[in-house]
Amino acid sequence: MGTYFEKENLDLLKAQFDTAEYDPEQAEPAIYIGKNQLLDMMKVLRENPTYSFDRMANLTAVDYKEYFEMVYSLYSRRFDKWVTVKVKLEHDNPEVESMTQIWEGTNFEERETYDLMGITFLHHPDLRRILMPDNYEAHPLRKDFVPLEPRIEGGVLTWHKQKSMS
Amino acid sequence: MAQTEKYVLNMGPQHPSTHGVLQVQVELDGEKIVGAKPVMGYLHRGIEKLMESRTYAQCVPYTDRLDYVSAMNNNLGFCMAVEKLAAIEVPERAEYIRVICAELNRIASHHVFIGSLTNDLGSATGMIYAFRDREKILDLFNIICGARMTAHYIRIGGVAADAQEEFLRGAQEFIDYVPAMLDEYDRIFTGNEIFQARMQGTSIITRETALKHGMSGPNIRASGVDYDIRKIDKYGAYGKFDFEIPVGKQGDNWDRYIVRLKEIQQSANIIQQALDNMPEGPVMAKVPKVLRPPKGDAYHRVENTRGELGFYIVSDGSTKPYRVHIRRPSFVNLQALDGMCQGMLLADAVTAFATIDPLMGEVDC
Repeated sequence: MGTYFEKENLDLLKAQFDTAEYDPEQAEPAIYIGKNQLLDMMKVLRENPTYSFDRMANLTAVDYKEYFEMVYSLYSRRFDKWVTVKVKLEHDNPEVESMTQIWEGTNFEERETYDLMGITFLHHPDLRRILMPDNYEAHPLRKDFVPLEPRIEGGVLTWHKQKSMS
Repeated sequence: MAQTEKYVLNMGPQHPSTHGVLQVQVELDGEKIVGAKPVMGYLHRGIEKLMESRTYAQCVPYTDRLDYVSAMNNNLGFCMAVEKLAAIEVPERAEYIRVICAELNRIASHHVFIGSLTNDLGSATGMIYAFRDREKILDLFNIICGARMTAHYIRIGGVAADAQEEFLRGAQEFIDYVPAMLDEYDRIFTGNEIFQARMQGTSIITRETALKHGMSGPNIRASGVDYDIRKIDKYGAYGKFDFEIPVGKQGDNWDRYIVRLKEIQQSANIIQQALDNMPEGPVMAKVPKVLRPPKGDAYHRVENTRGELGFYIVSDGSTKPYRVHIRRPSFVNLQALDGMCQGMLLADAVTAFATIDPLMGEVDC
């Protein structure tokens, strides 16, 4: 596994973006960034020739109950370097800019995150469900998920909220 | 004047050439493809969610069911991610056995690729040859762990049991057979005129497109990008072996076939070196019976047979993972399908599905 992004560079980013933060105690600290500055910072990480993070290696979201966290793992093929970028999103109505504007290949992964975690990606070219049925109205990877009940209505498979157990 | 109209044809989910339950909505203008949209989810079992309610050790068998023709590689990816999270050192002998198993599995997976590709191109005989040779590897897995496909042999901290003499002897016999096997494939498939005509210059993925879509594995290497995690990250024991990365030129169907054929040779080289230099010693690290990795997260990637397989695991300090995310290579690779098919004839779409080599167990997860 290549090396992690140096702390001097993290400090440079912190100077450039006022919402950027990291924990200097950790060996491989993730950069936390406010969601309004995410797209700009990602553009810098990708396009600045001294960073050149050309691969979005992994993209996912974690439900921490009070808030959601988007996790982006970036990799630079040129310098063999890693960096993790995290964004906190409020639990009701989580929205974040789509990374397809910078890395086109995140299209399916963002659709998957939208489908399973219920995070809306702004300016995504084709934000539809990808794994669950189109008429499914819940997001299975959320921690408060209760499976919906399948029922056939008029020859069509529909999904309904379960009646409470009381 | 005859008027033509575009129409949509559903291929799959029940279609022999879609290798499982992939549905592709092909938009056609006459016999020419205008667009191909993959529709997924028919095999979605919610493995990521299931893992949240299992202990770390109980999660490993689920990874067998991701890419079910290369189970060992998936076990390896998950176990290494957990080992990174919990800071477990794996004994050297176990690292060597892991490499042998993973590379044997890579060859077996490429057998499936060659077999199904030739079958899709109309030569059912070809499939029998590839599956005959794959059987030899599955028999070896049967010896080492008692299972042919869903191995669950690589465990957190090492491997389930030491490799027997019989397995090591069998692996050596297989490696000795590889040159004759590849020679036979060359005579049956590679030199075949129809095979070449169907494959050369069709469904080209350029270097730029492959990079843009974040592709990985043999598919990106066929487009001329020298990108192999085994070489870049040198995880496990891979840093100790000498091997080459086969790279294609223009990224057509033919290159994707040739790259995989050459990879079989390279995998055989790696196994030979591992067998020759196998150290003695234990095959399992001291792993607590109840594993509680410290609070935190880890991302680890390995080179699966289909590309970059990554596991992102979040631990909350309990015995079960708080969240597992799997970065599946064939899922990401499928984004290139649309561009590959555009402008091709419908009959060539079947070749494109076969050479991009998606495995639905992995795509749908």
